[in-house]
Amino acid sequence: MQVHRHPRPTRRTAAVAGPLAALLLLTACGGGGGDEEPAAGDGAGDAAEPVTLEFQSLSDQPAAIEATQAVVDSWNAENPDVQVEIVPAGWDGIYDKLITQFNGGAAPDVIHYEAASIVPFARDGYLADLSEYMSDERRADIPEGVLESVTVDDQVIAYPTELQSYMVFANRGLLEAAGVEVPSGETMTWDELREIATATTAGGVAGLGWGLKSPTAAFMTLGPQFGGEYFDGSGADAELVVDEGETALPELVAEMTADGTLAPVTLSQTGSEVLASFYAGQVAMTIQGSFQAANIATDAPEGFDWVVLPPLEGPEGAEQAANPQTLSVNIDSEHPEEAAQFLEFFTEPENLASLNRADALIPATTSAQEALATELAEEPNWAPILASGQYFTGAPYLFVDAYAQWKDTVATPAFQRFLAGETDAAALGEELQAGWDEINA
Amino acid sequence: MRTLVRPAQYTALALYIVFLGFPLLWLLSASVKSSEELNSLTVSLLPTEWRWDNYSQALERQGLVRSSANSLVVALVSTALVVVIALPGAYALARFRGAMRALGTGWILVSQVFPVILVILPLFLILRTVELTDSLVGLTLVHTTYTLPFALWMLQGYVSAIPRDLEEAGSMDGAGRASVLRQIVFPLLMPGIVATAMFSFVSSWNEFFFALVLLQSPENYTLPITLKMFIGGEGKVALGPLAAGSILAAVPSIVFFSIMQKRLTGGLLSGAVKG
Amino acid sequence: MSTATAPARTSARPPGPPRRSGAATRARRREAAALVLPSLLPVLVLSVAPLVVGIALAFTDARLVRRPEYSVVGLENFERLLGNGFFWESFRIGMVWAVSVTLLQLVAGMGLALLLAADLRLQGLTRVLALIPWAMPPVVVAIMWRMIYSPNAGPLNAALGSVGLPDDVNWLADFSTALPAVVVVGVWVGMPQTTVTLLAGLQQIPGELHEAASMDGAGAWRRFTAVTLPSLRPIVTSITSLNFIWNFNSFSLVYVLTEGGPGGKTMLPMLFTYLEAFKNRNIGYAAAMGVVLVVVVVALLTVYLWSQLREEKGAR
Repeated sequence: MQVHRHPRPTRRTAAVAGPLAALLLLTACGGGGGDEEPAAGDGAGDAAEPVTLEFQSLSDQPAAIEATQAVVDSWNAENPDVQVEIVPAGWDGIYDKLITQFNGGAAPDVIHYEAASIVPFARDGYLADLSEYMSDERRADIPEGVLESVTVDDQVIAYPTELQSYMVFANRGLLEAAGVEVPSGETMTWDELREIATATTAGGVAGLGWGLKSPTAAFMTLGPQFGGEYFDGSGADAELVVDEGETALPELVAEMTADGTLAPVTLSQTGSEVLASFYAGQVAMTIQGSFQAANIATDAPEGFDWVVLPPLEGPEGAEQAANPQTLSVNIDSEHPEEAAQFLEFFTEPENLASLNRADALIPATTSAQEALATELAEEPNWAPILASGQYFTGAPYLFVDAYAQWKDTVATPAFQRFLAGETDAAALGEELQAGWDEINA
Repeated sequence: MRTLVRPAQYTALALYIVFLGFPLLWLLSASVKSSEELNSLTVSLLPTEWRWDNYSQALERQGLVRSSANSLVVALVSTALVVVIALPGAYALARFRGAMRALGTGWILVSQVFPVILVILPLFLILRTVELTDSLVGLTLVHTTYTLPFALWMLQGYVSAIPRDLEEAGSMDGAGRASVLRQIVFPLLMPGIVATAMFSFVSSWNEFFFALVLLQSPENYTLPITLKMFIGGEGKVALGPLAAGSILAAVPSIVFFSIMQKRLTGGLLSGAVKG
Repeated sequence: MSTATAPARTSARPPGPPRRSGAATRARRREAAALVLPSLLPVLVLSVAPLVVGIALAFTDARLVRRPEYSVVGLENFERLLGNGFFWESFRIGMVWAVSVTLLQLVAGMGLALLLAADLRLQGLTRVLALIPWAMPPVVVAIMWRMIYSPNAGPLNAALGSVGLPDDVNWLADFSTALPAVVVVGVWVGMPQTTVTLLAGLQQIPGELHEAASMDGAGAWRRFTAVTLPSLRPIVTSITSLNFIWNFNSFSLVYVLTEGGPGGKTMLPMLFTYLEAFKNRNIGYAAAMGVVLVVVVVALLTVYLWSQLREEKGAR
């Protein structure tokens, strides 16, 4: 933020600043204290006493909770000196909880989150640099784009664990009825997608449904396929770039809405809500987070024949911006080394494979992806999803300071206005830019 | 005329009940639907197939019972504290004018307007110093403190609504101040006290932000925290179990309301005043 | 606000309580202090202290970072805020939201309270039914209403369709219906509280006042305006001012419903402050927003309360 200050410390300002400083100093000093009183009552500082690490986990699917517990149990069995204790928390509200925990010096040792949201904490100095702890083996195993998404100022600030990509799910019956052959290549271009959408649009059925209630994340993730990077630089110096590459995808969506091949009602819904239309045969295809494969498997009506199409590819490639789930270590943890060792263990291929299988997500290491692919060779719908794992790329937006504010106050409203047909592409670009300038004024 | 009034009243009441009750009926219906049906386009109040496993899932999955017990204790204790503390304060605010009243009113308003997010960090540090973070005692104190302004404000409204003449008449009859308060003011205030208690209970019962930020151990979680855990990342909502959990969780409040609403009736009290 | 004109009226009323001797005044003061003290203690420690820190932050460039360094910048945050168009736009939306929800809550709550106070059958049951929305945590309320408003799988559109009305309104996503739709949810959530408060007030009105009015031959409406409303005035004042504050302050309900969308139509000012404080971690600038909100809301309420107080006195 370019706030120019004129600090003219008079006596009065010092008087105001005094108690404030004291309070905030408390914050800073409190940092180390937070971990001296872990839940397990180890008051006496006996040397033989085992180290206890608090692991705040966000796993929410029953199977994933079990998988996480299993990994922790096996670690605890192997490491009697370093006991890990899971503290479950929910995704909803976790950001608020973390920011208070960090500022109050009460954050847990090991923190589960996602790259886009944890990077700001790294920037503000709350996360340990894991570069020196990460084994060469692991470093080589994490795809470059994914590693990039957890690297802040040349420091690795988290171990990536699980990823999702945007995939196209199709109703095989509707495709066949329209005489469309289900694509089976390595990738599928957006042009092919449009062709299929056009072919399947008929009599109350729209070719495509896309839940774009929160459009910004989708456009940021798929932007690279059209050369849309949105940001240049990082931190406070980042610049917004809105060019043809950036507006290409929103324009494509607008065109498909206009020619009736994309069901307009879905644009304002969440992905899950669109699935209802998909099951009802009102849309032939839908773009969804890859994890929805698991929900479709349980919620689709009996006999519903669905297929995951090959990863999407734009004029600039099949890349999708990586925003992995992450495990980080609190910089004020008393035992950063032990915590990092636990993360190293947690991300071993078989552990990541079992966790990702439970969550229906894509493992963040190549060897875990391969392990999962072998395990799930029988299930054809997993193949394209896992194949999309090779196209993850680092995303500039993760490292932009004012991104969260721009997203909520400028980008999302602007995209919504554009998708609702209230503005055209030129106006969209102007709104995005003007809002960015105002935030950074 | 009279014959038309009653039917009109019943019709209006029915409309209110539909408006207030229908969303809950819908929630009830969601709680007995299968995930497949909830994720379809079928619109029907009655499920095609009754499913009770949402309830068992809600019960076993997230420690619902334990967090309900926590919420109940915190809500009841803070309600009791609020009423006991606020009653004398509100009386003073209503009856004694002057600088204190202005100051009290001013603070009540400011404390309710200032965004909680800006207060939470200093509050967290204060509680941490006295080791009351991650503690139900600490949460109870916080709920008490942040419900107090409301309670004071409402109760002083109820006190103001009691004509001062009544009190003065009592004094002239020779009754002492304490007995005036006990015999005249207190009975008249009863509905107001009950309404305030209900409010305190509910606001503690539903409070999310302080509980989220202050509580760390799962065994201390309150109900809103537990219910939120049905909402996962990427907007995944376990609708059925969430609906079932919310309905189970509403039972203590409904019991509390049923007990309290009887005391909202002031019929007997006006008689007491006359006598 | 219509009340803004009220202060123009001047009334030359003598101060209410008769003058007392010095000793009696001191005794009364001591009594008042003793009565207020229990409220004061927790409030000073857990509310006033954090509040003062929060307000003081508005005059600094503090950020939420580890080992923060910051300086006092005086009014700079406020100057910057003056030029923040987004903030003021959300402020406008917040006003529309808070005023409309508060008014509707009052009107709807008053109607329901009168019905519940009338000697109808099944009184206990209807009272509890009317209160149940209260027992629902806001997040559940929001999810429930999202289901009801669903454009293609919701009961609202299905019901409209079954009586031949258009059944494809996208309530929460259409630019013209989004704000009214969330206002309805706001009223739904706040009604039980307003109703109970007013109901308690109604019970407190001495029965003989109504009897006297009836004997004078006053009809139902006349009794309402001549007896009920004046007696309720302090309570109506209290609950509307509090409802207004809460509505102005609430954003979590609307956030789950619409995330401020579509196109920023439901972006409330608290959401703004939240983004600045927690997402941008500019706690100093955010505190300045908080202070501005406090100043404006308290100013509005002071005018409102003052005018109410006058009318109250006038009515006595």
